Amino acid sequence: MTFLRWAGTLTAFALLVFTLASCDVTNSSDSEPELDLVTIGSVTSDDYKISLESESTLETGANQLYWKIERGGDLVTPELITITPMMDMGNMMHSTPYQQPEVAPEDDRYYSNMAIFIMASGSMGSWAIEFEITLLNQEILTGEIPVEVDSSWRLTSVRDDNDKIYFITWLHPKQPVTGNNTLGFMVHTRESMMSFPPVENAELEIYPYMDMGGGSGHSTEFTSPEAEGSGYYEGSINYSMSGTWTTSVTLTAGDITLPEVMFEYSVQAQ
Amino acid sequence: MKFLLANLLFLIWASSAFAQVSALRVLDRTTGEPVIQAHIKSDEQTVIATTGTDGYFTINRDDYPVIIVTAVGYQSREFVLRAGMETLYMNPEIYRIETGLLVLANREGENNVQAYQQQHHAQNMDQFLDKIDGLSTNKRGAFAWEPVIRGESDQRMNLMIDGMQVFKACVDKMDPITSYVETSNLSELHIDKSGSDVASSGGGSSSINLVTRGAEPESFSMNVSTGYRLPDNYRSLSVAGNTSDRTGRHAVRFSGSYKKADDFVSGNGSQIDNSQYEKLNLNVSYRHRLPSNHTIEANYITDKAYDVGYPALLMDATKALADIGQLRFNFAPTDKSWRVETVQIYANAIRHTMDDYSRDVENREVMGGMHMPMFGETFTAGTRVNGQAGISRHSFEWFLDGYYSRAYGDMEMNSHDPNIEDMFIYNLQDVNTWQGNIGMKHRFMISDDLLLKAEQNIALKNLDTGSERFASFFEGLYNRGLNTRPNILLSASGNLLWMPFDDWSFSGSLVYSERMGNHMERFGHYIYNYTDGYFYDGNPWLKTERAINTDLNTTWETDSHSISLSLFHKQYFNYIDGILSEGTGNIGLDFKRYANVGDATITGGEFRSLNRLGPRLSIENRVSYLYARNQTLDEPLPLIPPLKGFSTMHLHHKGNRLMGEVEWAAAQHRIAETASIEDATRAFAVLNLTWERDWLNGSLTSILQANNLLDRHYHTHTSIGNIPEAGRSVMVSLSYAF
Repeated sequence: MTFLRWAGTLTAFALLVFTLASCDVTNSSDSEPELDLVTIGSVTSDDYKISLESESTLETGANQLYWKIERGGDLVTPELITITPMMDMGNMMHSTPYQQPEVAPEDDRYYSNMAIFIMASGSMGSWAIEFEITLLNQEILTGEIPVEVDSSWRLTSVRDDNDKIYFITWLHPKQPVTGNNTLGFMVHTRESMMSFPPVENAELEIYPYMDMGGGSGHSTEFTSPEAEGSGYYEGSINYSMSGTWTTSVTLTAGDITLPEVMFEYSVQAQ
Repeated sequence: MKFLLANLLFLIWASSAFAQVSALRVLDRTTGEPVIQAHIKSDEQTVIATTGTDGYFTINRDDYPVIIVTAVGYQSREFVLRAGMETLYMNPEIYRIETGLLVLANREGENNVQAYQQQHHAQNMDQFLDKIDGLSTNKRGAFAWEPVIRGESDQRMNLMIDGMQVFKACVDKMDPITSYVETSNLSELHIDKSGSDVASSGGGSSSINLVTRGAEPESFSMNVSTGYRLPDNYRSLSVAGNTSDRTGRHAVRFSGSYKKADDFVSGNGSQIDNSQYEKLNLNVSYRHRLPSNHTIEANYITDKAYDVGYPALLMDATKALADIGQLRFNFAPTDKSWRVETVQIYANAIRHTMDDYSRDVENREVMGGMHMPMFGETFTAGTRVNGQAGISRHSFEWFLDGYYSRAYGDMEMNSHDPNIEDMFIYNLQDVNTWQGNIGMKHRFMISDDLLLKAEQNIALKNLDTGSERFASFFEGLYNRGLNTRPNILLSASGNLLWMPFDDWSFSGSLVYSERMGNHMERFGHYIYNYTDGYFYDGNPWLKTERAINTDLNTTWETDSHSISLSLFHKQYFNYIDGILSEGTGNIGLDFKRYANVGDATITGGEFRSLNRLGPRLSIENRVSYLYARNQTLDEPLPLIPPLKGFSTMHLHHKGNRLMGEVEWAAAQHRIAETASIEDATRAFAVLNLTWERDWLNGSLTSILQANNLLDRHYHTHTSIGNIPEAGRSVMVSLSYAF
């Protein structure tokens, strides 16, 4: 009898623990976004607040932008967002390579797109992103969000003999670390001030190197990037140590081999 | 009825009377004194008799044609009992003519030719090992020489302390574990040159097992030793003591030593910079005997070395720390056919810190203009269990052994150029080794004079890294995914001993062994190899290296003379070595990767003789030779010592002992031109003299030692960077025991 009482008590206790452990005390729909974003800027249009966020402050090269529309604190799902990044240089204006926002796969409350800023904000000019948002009720919101773009090592450009410019963007790894890194480049060219189409079927030759000082230096294992489509090229670099590395890139577009360009960056130990 | 009973009793008496019951005596070979309380065991390890105070025991030779004799303080020994045999000699486990050590040729001691080493408490373990035939040391300075058995070092030999796996923490091999046991703390030295002891030491690799002295159930005793040597100002102080309670149930032993030396001076009077060292070693041992006669032993060693210079290397060790602990449970002897004899659990941690802050890095050829502080550590824990088992009428010894080890190593590179960012590299990151072994040892008495031993070992071993990032480096290097799986490693040996006469034996052994690359060969990264000047990367996909070793020995041994000749040949398949890395466009740096490069052989032999020409004079000669070849490159293997030897003369008179020793080596012109940067080495011979004298009825011993008396300037072929040996030195030591 005593055994049965103890067994019953233990069973009840186990069920209680199991029930508590199974309960999700948080409502997933109310949980904070999984993305760790910083606000780049926001504007209010009518009663709507349009926010632009990113994983870090914007810089030259590739940036993932996240758009959020709220009304009275509630998220609003738009039907369509179209954007146009513009650089105002006073005597001229131009855009940059970019994509149009789509529902963010990481968090469906956001729309996201990639924008590759080809120059930094500063005395030469300032960036703003114009937007046009079509809501489900067909109401249209328009405006622009000024943004600050810092310079970084992740973008470089090279011109051919005909002065055609090619923008080579170090897409990833955003922060190279020791070990094997998948290497991604985007290559764009400029057809007009508003058109920066991707360069497909080019060839990229790379060479990573570490100058250790004192006359010593070495490369490491790597595979040159190959075209994956839409101006994206993928290869790998296997960093043997942390420190400052350089990676030279030689772009061959069509039959023209362009002058070598160089990325210089720091690799972290991990 | 009475008649029948009387006849039966007569038959019983007669059968026992005509059986070969005889009395034999067990004596100490060195002193001739009877060995008291020696256990006489059958070949199934059952105790069948014990010697009395006169060393005698009786035995039926028909029932027990083969016996094993064990006694505290003596080497276990197996005897084939022949008609007319009356005396059995036992060799002390540690042969102490004051400070001499007996080095056992192998664990059983069938080839028990004594290699007498004049051994002083003040002498380092590596110096001691360097004088054993068949052994050599790879030297990087005055400290922590790396032992080599028949040309096999590091990954191809198994270095143990009390059977424990202890792994060095320094990726540059600055800290061989032999440096963690002081000679004054050494009880036995088990050297298995052929690797035939596969069951207990595992893997079929040659092995050195340093067996430390434990607490003994003896009354209080103490020994204090000190020494001073010129011109390197070497000074040492060591203290050792043992005590137990009156019942002998509790016993404690303590030992400690401190050594410090300045830079040594070579034969031409040149001071060898960065050859200094300082070292502290402490050892505590406790032994408790239970009422059931089981015993529990606890042992802890801590070794701290500071400011250790390595003139052959790019940097020096600022701190080398070792903590080694073990618990051992020894079961009391029983005659059960299935029994456990010893259970041992252990853990150890080794840390090694080094830097080049005291070096001229600006003018350094390799990685100049920067400092490169390095750190490494290993942690190992394991257990060993052994016992006896019997199936039907066959009994055998069994061994279970398992361990886990974790290794880490890193290096900073801090350039003097302010425009160069500090660099950092993981040489080993969270590299884990697991291994489990099952070994069995069988004995078969084929005839009265022919004994066959067979040993097998099955090991399950795995190596991987817990760091995905570190693993990704190797994945990128070899362009394949890393998926480590345990390897099954088999090893086996057969040993045939033929004793046609009491004083003459022949033996031969055949050993098959398999070895997977160790943690450095598989997961080492950017590790500088001083023998060839290349930086090495590991290869997690190395195939198993296999080897077959054949060994022949003949020994003639009488009370006064002992002569032994051993010949061996070892053939490697899938030999693991470095191959050049391609296409990395380096400046001032050269890289290699470990790979299975093909086949290799090592052939050689050792000759030893000891002749006692009277009660006061004995002469000893030892010669060894190796011929090693990388069959793929068709060139010699690197760092193979030339023909070398020792000739020693001992003179004893009353309390005085005089020893003269000539250490010599032939020139070595067989060098690995492709695989290393070694060069040819000239022949040399040096003369050492030692005079010892006892005072105060033997309580106090003084030692005057002069090494390299003729002040020869030379270096051995295994001295990395051709760092010369010490020139003439004079050392005075005092040892007081009470």
